Amino acid sequence: MMAALARLPVGRLAAGVAAWIAIGAWTLLALSVAAMARSRGAAHGADLVLIDTVGALVIPLLAYGLVGAALGGRSLSASGASLVAFGAAPARAAAATIAVAAGACAAAGALIAAAVALVAHGAADPAPLGDALVSAYAGALGGAAYGCWFALGASFGRRGGGRFLFLLVDWGLGAAGAAAVVTPRGHLRNLFGGEAPDHLSGRASSVALIGIACLCALVGTRRCRT
Amino acid sequence: MTETPAEAAVVVESLVARAGRTALSQVSLAWTAGAHAILGARDDGGPLLLSALAGRVRARSGEVRVLGENPRHPRVRRQVGYVPLDATLPDALRVDEALAVASELRQEPVQDAGARLGTLGLDALARRPVRSLLASEARAIALAEALTSTQVRVILVEEPFAVMDARAAGRLAERLRARAEAGAVVLVATASVGDAGDVADDHVLLRRGTLVRRGASQDVLAGFWLDGNNARLRIVLKGADDARALAGALARQADVVGIERLVGAVCARGRDAAALARAAGRAAIEAGVDVAELRFDPPSLDEAQARPSPAMGASGA
Repeated sequence: MMAALARLPVGRLAAGVAAWIAIGAWTLLALSVAAMARSRGAAHGADLVLIDTVGALVIPLLAYGLVGAALGGRSLSASGASLVAFGAAPARAAAATIAVAAGACAAAGALIAAAVALVAHGAADPAPLGDALVSAYAGALGGAAYGCWFALGASFGRRGGGRFLFLLVDWGLGAAGAAAVVTPRGHLRNLFGGEAPDHLSGRASSVALIGIACLCALVGTRRCRT
Repeated sequence: MTETPAEAAVVVESLVARAGRTALSQVSLAWTAGAHAILGARDDGGPLLLSALAGRVRARSGEVRVLGENPRHPRVRRQVGYVPLDATLPDALRVDEALAVASELRQEPVQDAGARLGTLGLDALARRPVRSLLASEARAIALAEALTSTQVRVILVEEPFAVMDARAAGRLAERLRARAEAGAVVLVATASVGDAGDVADDHVLLRRGTLVRRGASQDVLAGFWLDGNNARLRIVLKGADDARALAGALARQADVVGIERLVGAVCARGRDAAALARAAGRAAIEAGVDVAELRFDPPSLDEAQARPSPAMGASGA
């Protein structure tokens, strides 16, 4: 059942030009910045690029684009309307869409973060392979959390315009301070080695990102019950 | 339609529902297997009633039961084919893939897409991407899916002949009736009295969200034709230039109260359908024209709604 429900968002991502343009463009930007950091010989090149470019810009905006592509530019509930017409429960259709969007964001986040850790590796950074694995883990968690975050945002507004509002909220609250605890941005920055929101540990931020993803997925699904 | 809700597959009791500016007020109805029409303009609540039966609109009060359960129940959802005017298909898939997904969701064996689409003459569309379809094609495919599903027992169609692929429209009434005869409940909501008569055996008439009449479609149509309610007879002529002569002859007939000359046809109005038909025959002989077809036009929706009901005057199953 869930496999059948997932075919639509997967098809949108696979066939949608917008999704591939988003992935290509943001990957190119991240790798370009990483290559510049390496060419400058920055001692903490990987950390700097991961915090300032990948965590702050690339993963959020890539997730924003991928979620939009998975939803076909519609609201979360409208994106599954054609499946509901075939007898699917609206909440299940929404859950499948969120899962596909979060999975795509997690995979893209992990690959980009790992690639940047390898390309921008500096003399003072940890061993390249280990750093790439840790970065991929953080990128995957952050990507999944952002995927669910924006999917919940898309449950607001007739055409899912709440997604943009959630982007603004993430940028506004997640920049610094205790309020960053409620946004993916603050925790992803912490996992990439940046400033921790409310002095949380890396492990706590990992749990928080999983919590944000689960909560957003749950609320988004419940909002699509009818 | 049935008078005993306990036997019915689709039941609404004292339903109050609202969507936008359209509302249903204390509507009670029950339908068994067969083809039924809900007659009324869009704002009268027919499409809203179908939405409520499909579980898309929540009842403010009252009850909706489809196949004995709440229409939102997963088992019921799988057995309901709902085709609104803006029916959509999974946009990122091909038509055959969309039908396969539909079969999986309805938990039925996957059938050959070409054969399923062939029921409405749409087999050429099987490999087309859904994104490339016209709205009329997508709606026809959604209807073909409902008609050929082995799970679907209730088919809800809004305006079956509007926004409908021409190939499908020609076979639609026959296919819907065949499905009804096979045991399904087929409910169409339409503003066309003629379409309701083509597809359904009985109808309920809604006005501003309230049930105003119910009865067998043919009885209601016959009533308009035979009991002095502005019968309209369309006389189609073999010769396109004969309309002028026939109109002149009709004008001399006492039973004809109005004439409209069309291209290759004349439309005559009278108070009595039988007298009107006799007058048309006399006029044709007098004018020396060859008649290809005589056809009574169904009443307009306004006429149907305005006419006092012989069957019932208030809502209720």
